[in-house]
Amino acid sequence: MPKILVIYRRELHFYFASPWSYTIAGAFWLLAGFFFVSMLLGPQGVIAQALLRDRLAGDGVPPLDVAYQFLQLFLSLLGTLALFVLPMLSMGLYTGERQRGTLELLATSPVATWAVALGKLLAVLTFFTFMITPLLGWEVIALSTASPPFNLGWLILGHLGLLLLAGAVLSLGMFISSLTESTILAGVLTFGLTLSLWLVDLLTQGWEGTGGDFLQHLSLVKSYNTFVQGILDVSSLGVLLSYIFLGVFLTSQSVESLRRS
Amino acid sequence: MIEVEHLKKTYGTTTGITDVSFSVARGEILGFLGPNGAGKTTTMRILTGYLPADQGEARIDGLEVHEDPMGVRQRIGYLPETPPLYPDMTVADFLLFVAQIKGVSRSEQQQKVAVALERCGLGAKRQVLIRKLSKGFRQRVGIAQAIVHEPPVMILDEPTVGLDPRQIIEVRELIRGLAGDHTIILCSHILPEVSMTCDRVAIIHQGQVVATNTPAGLLSQLEGGVQFNLEVAGDPGLVRQVLTGLEGVQTTTLDHLPSGLITVHLHATAATVGPHAVAALVQAGIAIHEVSRTQATLEDVFLRLTTTEGSPTP
Repeated sequence: MPKILVIYRRELHFYFASPWSYTIAGAFWLLAGFFFVSMLLGPQGVIAQALLRDRLAGDGVPPLDVAYQFLQLFLSLLGTLALFVLPMLSMGLYTGERQRGTLELLATSPVATWAVALGKLLAVLTFFTFMITPLLGWEVIALSTASPPFNLGWLILGHLGLLLLAGAVLSLGMFISSLTESTILAGVLTFGLTLSLWLVDLLTQGWEGTGGDFLQHLSLVKSYNTFVQGILDVSSLGVLLSYIFLGVFLTSQSVESLRRS
Repeated sequence: MIEVEHLKKTYGTTTGITDVSFSVARGEILGFLGPNGAGKTTTMRILTGYLPADQGEARIDGLEVHEDPMGVRQRIGYLPETPPLYPDMTVADFLLFVAQIKGVSRSEQQQKVAVALERCGLGAKRQVLIRKLSKGFRQRVGIAQAIVHEPPVMILDEPTVGLDPRQIIEVRELIRGLAGDHTIILCSHILPEVSMTCDRVAIIHQGQVVATNTPAGLLSQLEGGVQFNLEVAGDPGLVRQVLTGLEGVQTTTLDHLPSGLITVHLHATAATVGPHAVAALVQAGIAIHEVSRTQATLEDVFLRLTTTEGSPTP
């Protein structure tokens, strides 16, 4: 069996056997469910607003695509929720190995450092996929009755974007987790880093020139939003994939250098 | 099987080890003995490929640890000072995981896990979560993970630390039972452990190997074997003359006691020299008031080697 798969299965076992990860998943489902209902059916929800708009504007305006608008809103919200949830999933990836001394076992086994990192990342990403799967079910059920009929491509693209976003945050979080032995510190630092990458386009909006342009491109929210809007944009895809690659690369560098000290 | 030549490792400004050389033959247990902080763990980490050495070479089964790290890792079972365990896994699952990352082929995995469980006396605990195990059993799981892929070489760093006396005996017996099939390096700062379990001992002090020999050889090499203390009455010149003429006597030192008697400290190569010396003295008409024998222990050797500043003994 390939070594990546061995690491992957061990990590997956860890996530699915740990009460801590179910606590995170439960809180995520609760919040997501609350927003799902209130965005769709609440007094300020998309259906109520569409009705209001129809009543005010009369028959002259084209009908609003409620399904599309709802999905955009809900996916943006999931992105924001993920920002809080993902650091909690990634913070223990390496701090735990260091505390238990099992990093020495991995480092003295015939398995490459990057393979360990990649296996870990895939496992935590699988757990996140498990977390968003029920939401996908809700969406499909709610949107199946939409008129005009709902475009499944948007749905898939939007969730692909969510997974890529998660991959980017988890990968960077994994790197930070390899830097310290304190799980809490890793979580806080990851949250700080993700928040800055999330908001970097807001912070640099006034900046002119290539520097500002470059920083704008680093933004996680900007890349994610193109997916949410149902656009497959190569540069957004590239940004998110680069973060994933960077995280894995930096993790293996940092774990390698742990031995040299 | 294991050859280590002139290893050197510096951490920043502090020196970990300055010059470590030794070799271990196939199937042998080498005790790696030294006070805490002498460089034992550093040496073991270099051997396992965890740390790179600044200078020197280390070969395991003919493979240089820096040139072929993956090959070396496959041939080594390593128990670090704290056993590397995943508390959320059962004993059997954990050993299967280790077998897999060590590259045991799929068809052999279950069988090798079963063998490791059996050898370490973990059969009854196979489905127990590691976090529910007592310290003694955790240490066994630690040893089991080091032997599960049946590596030719095992490196055990302080395997009995923190165990109760009964567990210590069990673990030592387990290690003894592993010798023959495996070449073992046992790191320890506990002397009786090393003298009881190991075929040979390397003593490391301040980053240098200061002696390598069998436990018995080390004693005779450094202490001159056996020492006798005698209290006699008679002519000192005659005493000296009688004793130095005997075979097996290395040194004699004479002291005059206030009572008029003479104490003789006699260093001999073997215990059998004692009766001969006594017989010779009696024959020469010297009255013997007291004879006692003191045998140096490994503790004496160890203390002598690690407390006196001196050149390494050959």
